[in-house]
Amino acid sequence: MTRVKVATDWLAGCAGCHMSLLDIDERIVKLLEAVEFTSSPVTDLKHPPKEGVTVGILEGAICNSHNVEVAKQMRERCQILIAVGDCATFGGIPAMRNLCGTQEALNRAYLETESVVDGIIPDSPELGKPLDMVTGIGEVVKVDLFIPGCPPRADAFWYALTELLAGRTPVILPRELFTYD
Amino acid sequence: MKIVDITINDQKVSAPSGSTILQAANQAGIDIPTLCDHPALVAVGACRICVVEVQGQRTLITACTFPINEGMVVQTESPQVIKARKFILDMLFSQRNHYCPYCEMSGDCELQNLGYRYGIDHWIYPTYTTPFPVDATRAYFLMDHNRCILCGRCERACGDLVANHTLGLRNRGTKSMIHADANVPFGESTCISCGTCLQVCPTGALCDKRSAYMGRDIQTEHIKTTCNQCSIGCGMEIVTRGGNVLQIKGDWDVTVNAGLLCKNGRFDPLYDERKRVTSPMIRKSGKLQPVSWDEALQAVADRIGSANAKEIGVLTSSNSTNEALYLLSKLFCQELKTTNVGLLNPVAPKLFEKSQGSLADITKSDVILVVGADPVKDQPVASFLVKRAVDKGARLIVVDGKDNGLIPFAHMNLDMVDISKAIEIAERAQQPIVLYGAGGTEQTTSALKKLQGKAAFVALEHGVNTRAAVSFGFNNGFTPSAAKVLYTVIGEQDWNGEDVLTKVDETTFVVAQASFLSPLTNRADVVLPTAIWSERAGSLTNTEGRVQKVNKAVEPKGEAKADWEIISLLAGKLGKKLGASLDEISTLAAQELK
Repeated sequence: MTRVKVATDWLAGCAGCHMSLLDIDERIVKLLEAVEFTSSPVTDLKHPPKEGVTVGILEGAICNSHNVEVAKQMRERCQILIAVGDCATFGGIPAMRNLCGTQEALNRAYLETESVVDGIIPDSPELGKPLDMVTGIGEVVKVDLFIPGCPPRADAFWYALTELLAGRTPVILPRELFTYD
Repeated sequence: MKIVDITINDQKVSAPSGSTILQAANQAGIDIPTLCDHPALVAVGACRICVVEVQGQRTLITACTFPINEGMVVQTESPQVIKARKFILDMLFSQRNHYCPYCEMSGDCELQNLGYRYGIDHWIYPTYTTPFPVDATRAYFLMDHNRCILCGRCERACGDLVANHTLGLRNRGTKSMIHADANVPFGESTCISCGTCLQVCPTGALCDKRSAYMGRDIQTEHIKTTCNQCSIGCGMEIVTRGGNVLQIKGDWDVTVNAGLLCKNGRFDPLYDERKRVTSPMIRKSGKLQPVSWDEALQAVADRIGSANAKEIGVLTSSNSTNEALYLLSKLFCQELKTTNVGLLNPVAPKLFEKSQGSLADITKSDVILVVGADPVKDQPVASFLVKRAVDKGARLIVVDGKDNGLIPFAHMNLDMVDISKAIEIAERAQQPIVLYGAGGTEQTTSALKKLQGKAAFVALEHGVNTRAAVSFGFNNGFTPSAAKVLYTVIGEQDWNGEDVLTKVDETTFVVAQASFLSPLTNRADVVLPTAIWSERAGSLTNTEGRVQKVNKAVEPKGEAKADWEIISLLAGKLGKKLGASLDEISTLAAQELK
């Protein structure tokens, strides 16, 4: 039996949601019998394969132009896109930047920090350009399932993946797995 | 009362005519979600979350404002209703910052609960579009406009319940904001920090500075008790966690205050920074030394036992419980025949033998006479009731000095000598009420008797348990110089003792039953540490004569004991049996107070 291909990636996040996925503990062995993780930020292969995967999982908010590209590429290469964590669903902690504005946040971080001498705001063409507003990924790509939580519980990941493997599409998580924080 | 039969979710429901759909549903145990509605406030239908489907109605209607009529058929969770509620929630979440993890109310928020209930797992409209300010200028709680959903509960609580009218709404649409007075910072406004808005806020927009992030509701304990700060005796809940008092909330179910509290009751007790007395102390070679309870009480008993009745003086604060006052009167006045007893605060003149009204009569009155009392300062919750009646058209006549706090709201301010004018006006009224305090002269108070039968009368006593103290005979004119042994029950009253201590003989043996270090404890020969409001059980009699229970929320600090317990132990040392358990003493005290 061919295994279902799953790719994960992170945007403006803290990796906590990936840690929470690993927190399904020994169940991961059982999961790997049915699932193949093609790529993730914590494996050698970072990008979802060109030939596509069934399930794409994204953690983190949309903060800059790079995040937008990663989100769009994942959307193109997967059939079912899951946004995991508060950042991917609501903007989360990075969205606190919206309360002061991007420019002020950059100034504070790179120019006005007490320890900074002759600071400059990084502006390399290799870097993504910060956006004016931090948002959840639903703002730039169509998302099939949102799993909020900071991080979502391991059981929420387990529930979503096992439901999908069973051929059902979870629309909204059950109450006991649904958490905002 | 006419009963109307309706059908809600295929269930037959009967409710009194005039009820709203929401009230009828609540009665039948059917849950309709609400946000802007609050049982204590007038329904305005602002948030629309309570919309329901009613057969024959063109659109969904708000259950909180729509009255029931015979044969009405209501659906509260139909697909159309759920779709509308989700849309409303999406709209509410889209404005300002309703992201839960860094909000103080997360876990106890009514908006968040609805998000869970209707499965709002992401936001479909752009959010965070405009940052709003945070106003932390008030001493006890702050307002984060970013968390506000403009339900207007705070505004209605301020206007309709407290009648202070500080809060209002300004601007329109997405720029709408709750503001104070003519848009000044809350800390500089006419706000009286009663905290009623804080208590009714459904989200984290209003946030208590002291208890913020100290635990969710489910992690705390709520102990119902009676406020110990003035003679109104408001019902309140002490919120504790791990033996620490976090917050005080008004109890909506108590008749006296119906949920209202004032700054003195809600916040001030939590910010008391006076130093506590934590163990019994005896003065040895000029210095107070910590000793055991047994040694301290024995020393007191020895001095009292060897003194004659005329040499003993007793001075009590009115913040003592009924039980303490009962035991104090039994032990000293009856058993030891002491007559030199006094109370630490002035007392309203006694006009009648029987009660002539209650605080609830204030809101029903058309003319209110306030004579020699300043409820704004001394009994704020009573002043809320007065201001509320004035809003409804009652005429307020203040017979008192020019600094009375009610004068800005009064139609007339008279001197004591012009009392007859006030009485004349009251005689012409339908339902006048007289609120009188210790500030009235003998002449004015006897003149007021003319209104007997016509007007309701409520004394606004100074202090806390003054009414019980008077009933037990403590308002007896105390002579400091006569006392050779002076027993003071000061509790937590802030009293500098100047007027008495300077007149007490240097050789007088002074016993201070006190909660805090003060000039009195500095002079005392024996100090007995007393539990404070949150640490004692018992009962208090309010200014109307209502006996209300006080419950212990946390353990007394150090070796402190409840006021009545100390007197009970002292009685034991003197060989007098005056009741064994709190229940027994409470019952005996309540009988005497009747």
